[in-house]
Amino acid sequence: MTKRIAGNGPVMGELNRRTMLKGMGGLGIAAAAGGFPQGAFASESLNYMCWEGYNAPSILEPFQKRNDATVSIDLITDSAGGFAKLAAGAYREFDLVSSDSPWIQRMGPAGFCRFIDDNDFAKQYSDFYPQFRAPFEPLQFDGKATGLPTRWGWVGPTVNTKFDKLETWSSYAPVFDAAYKDKICLLDWGDWPIMPLVLYAGINPYEELDQAALDEVRTVLRAAFKNTRAIVGDLAVAQKGLLDGSFRALIGGGTYCTSSLRLKGHDYIQSIVPDPKDGLKQGIIWMEATGLIDNGKDSKVAADFLKYIVSPAVAKELAITDATCNLVPNQKAEALFSDAEKSALQMDYMWTAWDNSQFHTVAPNIDDMLAIWQEELAAR
Amino acid sequence: MKIERKSWTDPVLIGSVTPLAAVMLFFFVIPLVMTTVLTFQTTQYYRLAWTWDLTIWTEIFSKPHYWTIMLRTVSMALICVVLSVLIAYPCAYALATRLKTYSTQIQILIIFAFLTDAVLKTFGWILVLDNNGVLNWLLAKVGFPPETLNLLYTPTATMIGMLYNLAVYPMFTIYLSLMRIDRDLILASYDAGASRLRTFFEVTLPLSKPGLYSGAVLVFVLSLGAFLEPRVLGGGTSPMASELIRQSFETRVNWPLGAALTIVLIVIGALTLAAFGFFTLRRKATKGGAA
Repeated sequence: MTKRIAGNGPVMGELNRRTMLKGMGGLGIAAAAGGFPQGAFASESLNYMCWEGYNAPSILEPFQKRNDATVSIDLITDSAGGFAKLAAGAYREFDLVSSDSPWIQRMGPAGFCRFIDDNDFAKQYSDFYPQFRAPFEPLQFDGKATGLPTRWGWVGPTVNTKFDKLETWSSYAPVFDAAYKDKICLLDWGDWPIMPLVLYAGINPYEELDQAALDEVRTVLRAAFKNTRAIVGDLAVAQKGLLDGSFRALIGGGTYCTSSLRLKGHDYIQSIVPDPKDGLKQGIIWMEATGLIDNGKDSKVAADFLKYIVSPAVAKELAITDATCNLVPNQKAEALFSDAEKSALQMDYMWTAWDNSQFHTVAPNIDDMLAIWQEELAAR
Repeated sequence: MKIERKSWTDPVLIGSVTPLAAVMLFFFVIPLVMTTVLTFQTTQYYRLAWTWDLTIWTEIFSKPHYWTIMLRTVSMALICVVLSVLIAYPCAYALATRLKTYSTQIQILIIFAFLTDAVLKTFGWILVLDNNGVLNWLLAKVGFPPETLNLLYTPTATMIGMLYNLAVYPMFTIYLSLMRIDRDLILASYDAGASRLRTFFEVTLPLSKPGLYSGAVLVFVLSLGAFLEPRVLGGGTSPMASELIRQSFETRVNWPLGAALTIVLIVIGALTLAAFGFFTLRRKATKGGAA
């Protein structure tokens, strides 16, 4: 999955010319003032690979101060790429990773997961909604937990209700309706736009697919491309099109591209989950999780950070960021949200969406489906 | 001028060539070799497997969609070269001949635009080309119906973005060539009775060809790698080679496939340039022989 957010600024641990010069200036001033004060150097440093939002200073700084630690960030823009980097050997350099849950779970079979003992995290689990408590199956490997859930939401049509009724999107049928020609936007976020369309075709993409099913995937993608105006990777561009009506629906984004707009007052933008079709749930639940990496250090500070990142106050910070707003699994955090924030997050709808959705995992035939996507796009 | 032939064992020659050779070796040849080596591997469960087989190459040569995208990329690049030169030449000519007084100021403005981040410029075009953007607003002001042009998320928008970002290269190379033309040759042409048009086609244009060719090559090479414009302005529905390579590396996490497509793109680019060079040289030789 690749989520693109516009306007990423410099992040901690990221060097550029300006920060370098600033740093050198600071060093000069410190040296001129008679050296560095005691304790200026943190006793432990953590290397943390994560999505945008997890790196907010309001999240990292209190932890760094309290634990006398430095957290260096490596931002990822796609989960698969982040996993590939770790698998290629970078896992030795990292202590923690926050990514999409299938990729956290995959660290188990890949051999670089530092499994967590659910008993050590009993307090954290007890704060979670019952749906996320131990043993939380989507993050289990071989009976052991690979990480803790941190953010979640659902993938369904994102609709501007100024232009369309929500009932119109109780199914993905409009994606294929000629009346919506050049009005559909697919989010270019890896497999996210593929899965809903495949579900609409009556195929469960999270099961092993035979050739007939893959042929059906090809047919449905080809049909969807006919009405597609754009395949957009940038969240801001997709949101702009949705607001001005040039896109009537965003497919493959869901709450990830809705909540921040709703928080800014565009409460007529909604992400819904279509009704089940022929017994097949049409929605998809996505989830981000944070896991510890087995880099040989067995760092206690890393484990503390994992407890910290799922704590109610931090979960609230993580839920509401500048770029996106997302649900968190921490039930206690719910009391910290304002009514406006709860409305932005569509909290009144979340369990309806949950009940009508598949859980997003790594599909067995994902590479076949991505190849079909490429082929049909080339042939368009 | 007498050209002095030097032996390859000449220490002075070796000394002067070594730094460049080392740079080329470390930053071009070795990465290229590593990329080529990668194409003979496979990925299993998102991890590289050192298999040394032809799986990836078999896939590339058996799936036509890779070649469809490559062909689209080369076509777009060639169109971009032609349009860039057509836009750049008059601008460079005016700069070198008619706007000499303001040429420094104009060059500074062009350089400013050139140095502005391509991401910013490309996203800026969305505001211009959108259905309810600046262009349609202007057209509506002069009496056209609302949303007359539907340019955004089309190959035309991709081409506009590419031209905007790349036409500046031939503008400068042609300008430099024009500035180097001996003014006496042009005056001699007029003295011999040639019209302005004939003087342009028989004196100015041939003498500015080095700048024109180098600008065209720059635009062609950069167009082959165009990534932002098809993605942002083209709406991703007509992907070019760079997007295909990105998808292979990033979305599919298939590094051998991405590496192989990179090699294919490099080879196609090199072959196109070689063909261009070959025909240009042959034409020159034919002309020389005829003279």
